Amino acid sequence: MKDNRYSRQVLFPQIGAAGQEKLQKKQVLIVGAGALGSSSAEMLVRAGVGKVTIIDRDYVEFSNLQRQQLYTEEDATSRVPKAIAAEKRLKEINSSAAVTGVVAEATKELLEQYLIDADVLIDATDNFETRMLLNDLAVYHHIPWIYGACVGSSGMSFTIIPEETPCLNCLLQKLPVQGMTCDTVGIIAPAVQMVVTHQVTEALKILIEDRQALRGSFLHFDLWSNAYSSMKVSRAKNPACQTCGTERSYPYLKGENKTKTAVLCGRETVQIRPSHAKKLSLIKLADSLKKNGYKVMVHPFLLSVELEQNRLVLFEDGRALVHDTKDVTYAKSLYDKLLG
Amino acid sequence: MNKLLFFAGLKDIVNADQLELDMVGKTVKEVKAELAQQYSDLPLESVMTAINEEFAFDDDLIEENDVIAFIPPVSGG
Repeated sequence: MKDNRYSRQVLFPQIGAAGQEKLQKKQVLIVGAGALGSSSAEMLVRAGVGKVTIIDRDYVEFSNLQRQQLYTEEDATSRVPKAIAAEKRLKEINSSAAVTGVVAEATKELLEQYLIDADVLIDATDNFETRMLLNDLAVYHHIPWIYGACVGSSGMSFTIIPEETPCLNCLLQKLPVQGMTCDTVGIIAPAVQMVVTHQVTEALKILIEDRQALRGSFLHFDLWSNAYSSMKVSRAKNPACQTCGTERSYPYLKGENKTKTAVLCGRETVQIRPSHAKKLSLIKLADSLKKNGYKVMVHPFLLSVELEQNRLVLFEDGRALVHDTKDVTYAKSLYDKLLG
Repeated sequence: MNKLLFFAGLKDIVNADQLELDMVGKTVKEVKAELAQQYSDLPLESVMTAINEEFAFDDDLIEENDVIAFIPPVSGG
């Protein structure tokens, strides 16, 4: 029976028939179609959310299949863009959902185009530069967004409601120099699912307009060491915050806070220059990359790593050269996977 | 006496998920500086700190029996 598709969810009293009707009229924008994005897109599409848009710049690789649940060996063999493979699979799961996969870098211009109509934004990115951009845009356009991230057996999530909760810029105060990423420290699939479980539950509450039920706290956990905690954050709301305080400059909407990329003239090489000079611990990064099976050479000021298709050379100040490509978006995605 | 908790990648650097240290009377900033001396690899600059499961600022003072947690911003997705 097709018409009882959502019956078990409607039976759940907090959603009910009224909540289900609301879900069908709502739109969600998911930024990133990796592990977090795959899983939350699948749950939301199955739940009957009317419109789901998912943005990603990357293509499917074999190292994704252990945890990125929308993709198959075939997708990895043919190197299908994640947004395309995700759209196809999601439409097979629920043909009544309006699913759009967008193959592109999540820039300010692109995000603005898609987030205007969204009722909630789900963070499934792998780097803080995009998250801070998302944070500025969400506060500026007054749209709730749900931070989520995972690494190893750990993960965290926080729901940002503009004008009510602190924003990500209040909590972190500046762009982290180097976030921990799955490519350097590894990841187990349950950590992904745990983050998504919290993100999607919060999204459902927002979509059916049950804001009273939102968690309010900053959740973090480590499944392997059996730790699960939440931090109260209301006092973190900073009146001097550049994003959500009394005088707002929206620092991440400005060009100078963006990573610069350029194809080097006459070479199959893309140069990446971070917005602020970093001071990276190359020796430490080399160690963790070696542990994950990468071939790495390291000198005090320079690290060179062999990736599947490319060689990436990283300098202490965060500048990098990605060899054997002229594709700026692709080069940036490799860079973010290593440095977050 | 205080309990210090280390989450995600931090516990691998400290080699423990918690330490018992007396930090009473110190500010969060001073606690971080002390840890940074002992563990030079500890990236405490962009780490969030919670005292008794509540967000703490750098100038907050540690009291007896406070539990101090360090939560690094995780980026993977």
